[in-house]
Amino acid sequence: MPVLLEAHAVCKYFGGLKAVEKVDMQVMEGDIHGIIGPNGAGKTTFFNICSGVYKPTSGAITFQGEDITRLTPEVIARKGMARTFQNIKLFKYMTVLENVKIGFHIRTRTGMASAIFRNACYREDEQFTERKGMEILERVGLAEVRDTLASNLPYGLQRKVEIARALALDPRILLLDEPVAGMNPIETRQLSEFILKLKGDGYTIVVIEHDMKFVMGTCDRVLVLNFGQKICEGTPDQVRQDPGVNEAYFGKGLVAGGGAA
Amino acid sequence: MGYYLSQLINGVCQGSIYALMAIGFSVVMGVVGLVTFCHGEIIMLGAFASYYAFAWAGNNLLVGILASFGASALVSVVVYKVCYERFFDAPHHISLLCTIGMSMLLKNLAQIIFGPNFKPMLDVLPNRFYGFGQVGISLVQLTVIATVIALSLLLFLFFNKTRWGVQLRAVSQDRKAATMMGINVKLTSLLGNAIGCGLGGVAGMLLAIYYQTLIATMGGAAGMKAFSASVLGGMTDVPSAAAGGLVLGVIENLGITFTSASFRDIFAFIFLLGVLMFRPEGFARKQGSRP
Amino acid sequence: MTFTAPGRAPWFQGRNRAIGLSLLLLLLLCFPQIYPKSYVMGVMCRIFMYAILTGSLNIINGYSGQFNIGHAGFFCVGAYAEALFAMKIGLSFWLALPLAGVLAALIGLVVSLPTLRLRGIYLAIVTLGASEIIRLLALNWEGLTGGPMGIKGIPSPMFFGLKISRSPQYYYIFLFLAVLFYLVTDRVVNSRVGRAWVSIREDEAAAQSLGVETARYKAMNFMYGAFWAGVAGAAFAPYFKFISPDMFSLDEGFNILSMVIIGGQGTLVGPVVGAVIVNFLTEVLRPVSQYRMVIYALLIIGMMWVRPQGLVGASNSILAEKKAGFWRRKPRRPAAKGA
Repeated sequence: MPVLLEAHAVCKYFGGLKAVEKVDMQVMEGDIHGIIGPNGAGKTTFFNICSGVYKPTSGAITFQGEDITRLTPEVIARKGMARTFQNIKLFKYMTVLENVKIGFHIRTRTGMASAIFRNACYREDEQFTERKGMEILERVGLAEVRDTLASNLPYGLQRKVEIARALALDPRILLLDEPVAGMNPIETRQLSEFILKLKGDGYTIVVIEHDMKFVMGTCDRVLVLNFGQKICEGTPDQVRQDPGVNEAYFGKGLVAGGGAA
Repeated sequence: MGYYLSQLINGVCQGSIYALMAIGFSVVMGVVGLVTFCHGEIIMLGAFASYYAFAWAGNNLLVGILASFGASALVSVVVYKVCYERFFDAPHHISLLCTIGMSMLLKNLAQIIFGPNFKPMLDVLPNRFYGFGQVGISLVQLTVIATVIALSLLLFLFFNKTRWGVQLRAVSQDRKAATMMGINVKLTSLLGNAIGCGLGGVAGMLLAIYYQTLIATMGGAAGMKAFSASVLGGMTDVPSAAAGGLVLGVIENLGITFTSASFRDIFAFIFLLGVLMFRPEGFARKQGSRP
Repeated sequence: MTFTAPGRAPWFQGRNRAIGLSLLLLLLLCFPQIYPKSYVMGVMCRIFMYAILTGSLNIINGYSGQFNIGHAGFFCVGAYAEALFAMKIGLSFWLALPLAGVLAALIGLVVSLPTLRLRGIYLAIVTLGASEIIRLLALNWEGLTGGPMGIKGIPSPMFFGLKISRSPQYYYIFLFLAVLFYLVTDRVVNSRVGRAWVSIREDEAAAQSLGVETARYKAMNFMYGAFWAGVAGAAFAPYFKFISPDMFSLDEGFNILSMVIIGGQGTLVGPVVGAVIVNFLTEVLRPVSQYRMVIYALLIIGMMWVRPQGLVGASNSILAEKKAGFWRRKPRRPAAKGA
């Protein structure tokens, strides 16, 4: 399986704060790749570097063999990387369908002239976004709430809308930042199944999560970060047994005293 | 050669007034955290306050400073109550538009109360000139520079040696953390706003003395220069703002020697565009802060 | 089925909308025949012109969330451009009009370019400065613009041999331009372009992550607004027959801004309402015209306190928010809104 997304010795310093320190990562195509670590470990910062929101202080990100380190987020999105955000960034005052329609921006071409003269390009694009938007909503199970204002939905559904919107890009890779945060066990399981289904549909997914059951049950490979540094990268089993990981989560004392591992 | 040197001195003098305006603006920006569009009008009100102080109480510079500082600080309390107090948690454009409305209000009220025409400033300082060789400096210029230096020193001492100063700096860095340390953030913001605006008021008085004239519409250009100069310091750093003001004054004065006096404001604008294009975050170092 | 722009009243769609607007248009077309009093015609012309000015400012401020407070500058560019095209090159009004708009749009591009990737406040200050610089140039470039004396005797437009010089005739020109503006803008706003603009306003980072080229769309948006302001200026010049720099001061910019804020941002009808209300107030307040700007200032402040999106602005948008931080980690039970 080829490597789809790769990070080479990525560092990000904010003044004196070393948020990310020499992190390497390799995401195989078709995998679900988890990123875990205690709070403040630099996971979201690392995500932001991958998707172009931050430029790394040093190091590089390659996507589909191409160096995307210096590219802007919108260009990276066009290359096939879609993401969701830790604090949901839905367009709160738009309906669910309208939110998803924005996702089709890079797949449509109507410019100002086409819009003014309402030519074939405009008509095709409008039909396309409407049709494909409904398709995605049906696939995700949100067809009923298509005209509800995004902010009026319960939390779990809002997360789903954000994922649906990301799917509208028809991406090759999905970056999900804490998709099950704040969900109860049932919702978590449902979303876990949904993400597995996405993998079955051919998407490569990178997930930041805290929920261990979710991560161990869903991910093919896991990257562990702590204090901005990479502790370990491997299969869930390898990670579970790695002493560095246990130390990070449970502390030296517990591990040394023959603790929870 | 002497001509350019004297223009340089003009530039430094003017620049120090701009520096004071920019310092005031940066203090307000830092402590309140919301952008103000009415700083120019605050400067203008200080100028008029000093005018009337001189008219009623004689040509005492100290009285003028106190009057301009006090008047602007008082008006700043009104601005705080109207434009900032309710909107700390709101999207920033709301308080911004409120300050735009406030600036319109103050400017037009001033035009109604003080009249729309240029007012000649009273002669506060004697017209003395000290020459050395090809150049010279006037008493007015010396006084202006001295006043700005004195006020900057006072501000520095206040910020670093008094308890209130520490509180102001804390609030300027992190409001939530300051609250948790038991600082009365609302009162501190009010105070910071008053100090910044008061300094602006004194700058207004200095502008009036230097140009020997004042008019109710002088706020527009003044506000823009205060903003442009403080951009150099990322809008919240006081020393960089002061430096920005000096640089702006020198550039402006050198610029108009090569073109004409009516293009003065254009140079301020070019300066602003230049800074924005090459270093929009300013020159102040921000250690360890997240973007 | 078209995209419903946020803030559109659901009952005013489709057939209802077509009928209602057609009736309004018919009424406006017949109006000069019913009530041709010159003073009223003058007010109506001004309202139509401001409808274009406020509408174009609203596209910038209300639809893409950018901050332009120097709209008077583009108005000025359009007016001077038309006057100079007509008088120095002898260009016909109907050619000079769009050219003036294009010139204003280009200047809009130059103004907005430095700050496209910066926070909104920088754009605000730059637009303020640009508006003043444009006025200063008009004031000082005597060779081109006649300096403080301005340009007078601007030739009237010709329409198939008929010279358009009186208010009732000009009424139709302004009405035509205003209707054209709103028709075109309606189409642009309800398309992929308009959606991109709104997404930038609502959440620029999210829009970027979805592939919206924010810098390009912000520039496009700015140019669009500047273009129409230029067109309004170009129509104004021959109508008033005389232009001078002090007609395009910062005060004029604030005048237009007040109309947008009071009437409403983020909807198409908001700026029209604002233009009508403020121009109506201007007439009513003629006896106390000094206090006019004071009252507008108070209205702006009042709006921010009570209804930030304006009277008929986009209530379903970030413009209407009075408290930021609406997205919190919500508790599991459905939380009450605005808690």
